[in-house]
Amino acid sequence: MSDHAQEMVQVTDATERIAHWLLAGSCLLCLFTGLGFMFSSWSFIPALFGGYYAAKWIHIFSGVIFTASLIYGYFMWKKDCVFEADDAKWILNGGGYLWPTNNLPPVYKYNAGQKAFFWCVIVFGAIIALSGLMMWNADIFPNDLAIWAFTLHALSAMVIGSFFVVHFYLGTIGNPGTASAMFTGKCTKAWCETHCPRWFEERSKKTEAA
Amino acid sequence: MKNNHKKEYVKLIDTTRCTACRGCQVACKQWNELPASITRQHGTYQNPQDLEWNTWTLIRFQEYTDKDGNFKWLFRKDGCMHCTDAACVKSCPSGSLFHTEYGTVGHDLEKCIGCKACTAACPFDIPRYNKQTEKSYKCDLCYDRLKNGEQPACVKSCITGTLSIGEKEAMIKKAYDRVEQLDNKAIVYGDKFVGGTHVLYILSEPAAVYDKLPANPSMPMSVILWKNLFRPLTLIGMGAVAGMAALHYLIKGPHEVHEKKEGGE
Repeated sequence: MSDHAQEMVQVTDATERIAHWLLAGSCLLCLFTGLGFMFSSWSFIPALFGGYYAAKWIHIFSGVIFTASLIYGYFMWKKDCVFEADDAKWILNGGGYLWPTNNLPPVYKYNAGQKAFFWCVIVFGAIIALSGLMMWNADIFPNDLAIWAFTLHALSAMVIGSFFVVHFYLGTIGNPGTASAMFTGKCTKAWCETHCPRWFEERSKKTEAA
Repeated sequence: MKNNHKKEYVKLIDTTRCTACRGCQVACKQWNELPASITRQHGTYQNPQDLEWNTWTLIRFQEYTDKDGNFKWLFRKDGCMHCTDAACVKSCPSGSLFHTEYGTVGHDLEKCIGCKACTAACPFDIPRYNKQTEKSYKCDLCYDRLKNGEQPACVKSCITGTLSIGEKEAMIKKAYDRVEQLDNKAIVYGDKFVGGTHVLYILSEPAAVYDKLPANPSMPMSVILWKNLFRPLTLIGMGAVAGMAALHYLIKGPHEVHEKKEGGE
């Protein structure tokens, strides 16, 4: 690979990275403590936090941070995550991850899989936040309604938890060079040309014009 | 009752014998050291109006006119039914609610974190939440007394023979014998649903007549989906995806970056 391709490009700004880590950190803390509540035999999890009662409040506070960063993240990332016609083509080609293909449409900022993860977190994140708020105040709702909040909370945890594993793999060892986007905020030119060519091209034109 | 039996116990509430003296209600408060609440007169002897965090059993007063125009007082001692398939135990995250060796549902208050899952899940609407203590409360059929070979406080206090407790099979037989004695004008309530409750009623009217008594209670579908489907699928889902990611890494390898014109475009 040429030196030129190793040149670093700013792909995220600090605000984006902070929002990402607030969302990710609170989400993982909720997921971890939540698994401790889901499986009552896993009492070692709440024990790490000082018992079930402390774990409950850590889960709730963490949930509040999750909700706030989710709302912020929605407004920050939604414009880049609107699905377009080419996304179907990207999906039909397995994103180039599953079998060799030469028909991958060039991606703008995020590919269809990343967009799907964004919308999954937004939709199930909203459900998990609202149902969590309802569980927190279950005493003011009719029982028949309140109990469904617990069910929906578990369903959302299942969806987000599973999709998170995909996100983690593809953001780290599955795509070498990607993780730095969320640490230093910089990736190589070659990375940009591989993962977001249309965005990079547009950016390069702007830079040249300036 | 001997304490080394470790057999399932059932409490029978024969409402046909109840005079609503409320001795059981007071005995429950006394034994469990539950404070009184300030109540209001609502034009009924029922007091307090409903079960509370500090009222684990309540005699419900009901004025009822049957289809032949006969007026009746219906007295029903409300409280935990001690289900075999208990939605509260199933939904409890911390192991605070548990099945005792007597088949009843015990409640370890030390472990309760006030998540309110049990209050929402119970098909009989029994557990009550207390904001101040951040815990939920309900009858534990005097688990401490049972362990010491004593009857629950309510049973001990009952002067009319409405309340009795004994081994499950014997009590179910006793209930049906009593219904026969009443010329089958009463029904047994409790042994046919949620795996059989450890509190049985003899009711002189159909169950649907009684205030706050579900005619056909069951484990809520929401709790079944939550605990039997989404709970295992959360682990299976995360595990399966992690497995697939590992296989992808081993078979396909990481997705390396490439310079322009090499692939995608």
